[in-house]
Amino acid sequence: METTLTPAPAASAPASLKTTPMLQLRDIEKVYQTDTIETVALNRVNLTINKGEFVSIMGPSGCGKSTLLSLMGLLDEPTGGVIEIDGRAVTSYSDKELARVRNHKIGFIFQSFHLINDLSVLDNVELPLLYRAGLSSKERRQRAQQALERVGLSARTRHFPSQLSGGQRQRVAIARALAGAPEIILADEPTGNLDSVMGEEIMELLLSLNRDQGTTVVMVTHDENMAHKTERLIRFFDGSQVS
Amino acid sequence: MIRHLFTLIWNRKRSNFLLISEILLSFFVLFAVSSLLVSSYYNYRQPAGFAYDNVWEVNVSPSQDTASRKEMLQLMLQRLQATPGVVAVTRTSSNTPFSFSSMNTNEFYYQKKQGPLTDRYDADDEMQKVLRQNVVAGRWFERRDDASTRRPVVVNQEFAKALFGSEPAVGKVLSNDKGIESWQVVGVIDAYRRGSDFDGNNPAVFERHVLEGADRFDPNDRPNLLVRVQAGSGAVLEQRLVKEIQDVTKGWHATVTTLDESRHDKMKIVLTPLIALGVVSLFLIVNVALGLFGVLWYNINQRRAEIGLRRALGATGAGIGGQFLGEMLVVTTLGVLAGVILAAQFPLLGVFGVPTTVYVLAILLAAVLIYVLTAICAFQPSRIAAGIQPAVSLREE
Ligand SMILES: Nc1ncnc2c1ncn2[C@@H]1O[C@H](COP(=O)(O)OP(=O)(O)O)[C@@H](O)[C@H]1O
Ligand SMILES: [Mg+2]
Repeated sequence: METTLTPAPAASAPASLKTTPMLQLRDIEKVYQTDTIETVALNRVNLTINKGEFVSIMGPSGCGKSTLLSLMGLLDEPTGGVIEIDGRAVTSYSDKELARVRNHKIGFIFQSFHLINDLSVLDNVELPLLYRAGLSSKERRQRAQQALERVGLSARTRHFPSQLSGGQRQRVAIARALAGAPEIILADEPTGNLDSVMGEEIMELLLSLNRDQGTTVVMVTHDENMAHKTERLIRFFDGSQVS
Repeated sequence: MIRHLFTLIWNRKRSNFLLISEILLSFFVLFAVSSLLVSSYYNYRQPAGFAYDNVWEVNVSPSQDTASRKEMLQLMLQRLQATPGVVAVTRTSSNTPFSFSSMNTNEFYYQKKQGPLTDRYDADDEMQKVLRQNVVAGRWFERRDDASTRRPVVVNQEFAKALFGSEPAVGKVLSNDKGIESWQVVGVIDAYRRGSDFDGNNPAVFERHVLEGADRFDPNDRPNLLVRVQAGSGAVLEQRLVKEIQDVTKGWHATVTTLDESRHDKMKIVLTPLIALGVVSLFLIVNVALGLFGVLWYNINQRRAEIGLRRALGATGAGIGGQFLGEMLVVTTLGVLAGVILAAQFPLLGVFGVPTTVYVLAILLAAVLIYVLTAICAFQPSRIAAGIQPAVSLREE
């Protein structure tokens, strides 16, 4: 699991060769049960994300996109069906194993950035490495620095999130996702809170990550233009995949 | 991770400052209460310095006629002394053991150095046979003291240490504030904690007063007698003593109580404020605990998004719980540290004259209690934190 941030040449293979499944959803169903209402957020979803793909997901609000991402990211459990990562079903994973998979394989990017306001940019980016055993504090610093360089923010390491613009904050969040060198990045409307220029910047960053380092990316978006820049577009409606 | 905790706490210093103040404050309440408890217990464990078992206190109410009171008393003492079952009889001032009356003075000087505030007792040659004070140097009063030019005194070690330091006390001459040499030390006893089991060993001076030496006999003094009786003596002897007194004095009234009863009565009265204080501080501490609990609960709800995020980034539920406990541990330690530094001033400045060991124990006790308190308060909120699902990180506010 010692992936570095330097570009991995093997990953920049043509799209046609991206056939190794990274993440598979089989017959996934998610029902939210509250006291009075039962919401079917996902209904028999079957989906395979291959290694190195850049997939975008579109659909109206409330159709289950975030729910889908939280299941892919092992943040939540489906009420039915099986999720496989690298060909292994995660159904039987313990809390500890799930945490480990999230830490090593998955990077998250959120619409509202989710930076910790009381931590400096550098401390925020270091967070995923804090939950990884066997790294010295020097190594953690170095990796966080590298990730910040990658998103063009190496001059802002000692700033606090409140001192940055929205676009810069999202770049910090991307650096945080990168610092852990994940195999897959799950982004839930990463440009949703940004103006079009900043959104464009973020999109370019994700595209270059996918292109240069072969990182698999799954991105939820409302922007048709951005969706069309990706290799594959999945449309959802009312809890089901429609295309 | 520890460095991360410190960074977090430092960056949130403003909200943590309140928490630390609250902990510091409760540390002080606990420190004050434990000082009191520890010093009471410490005193309780010290030897009383005298024996109160099988000692009876006889309160005599003389009739109005004062003409021949001294002779009456003398006769009475002789008769009591001769009664079978009586071991020894002494006449004291009213500050008998466990009584509510006390006399103190700082009139004693040694080579121009003023002595401490000292408990002062009148004593005759028999007192040591009744109360069995432990003479560690010199001797108790004797007949031959009649011939001495200065009034003989017996002091306790506390007094000797305060005035004479490490020099031997026996033979030292004490003077009054006008420099007149009036007293001479003939003996030293180790302790005389006569107030209650919780009293400290205050400096004490016993002055020899015997009926035979006519000086300072005030016919209006109420005679207080302490009688050591043989073990197992009971109501029969008690009635006999009262009757002897009435026979000799032609009708003086007398009541008998045992020192052990007085001790229990005094104990109750000394314990009442202690218990009241304990109850009040208990309420205070429960209050502080509820406050602490509320703040922690609130903090965790404020930080739900952060918790979800950390879980998404690879923290386990147990890890989150541990982080919150860890933060609380650091914050508590900062509060306790500040408290210890402040509390350490008491023994360093030597205020209240309480032994250093008492303060050290009280500080330790308060620290342990604070850690237990915060651990209890942090336990449930940390469990809640540990149970927050990682999926909350994806839900937008
Ligand atoms: N924790 C939850 N409890 C109950 N219902 C939920 C919860 N999370 C999401 N839902 C419901 O599930 C459906 C899908 O939500 P979501 O996945 O957030 O949609 P999207 O991200 O596409 O807007 C919605 O109807 C939403 O109200
Ligand atoms: Mg959503």
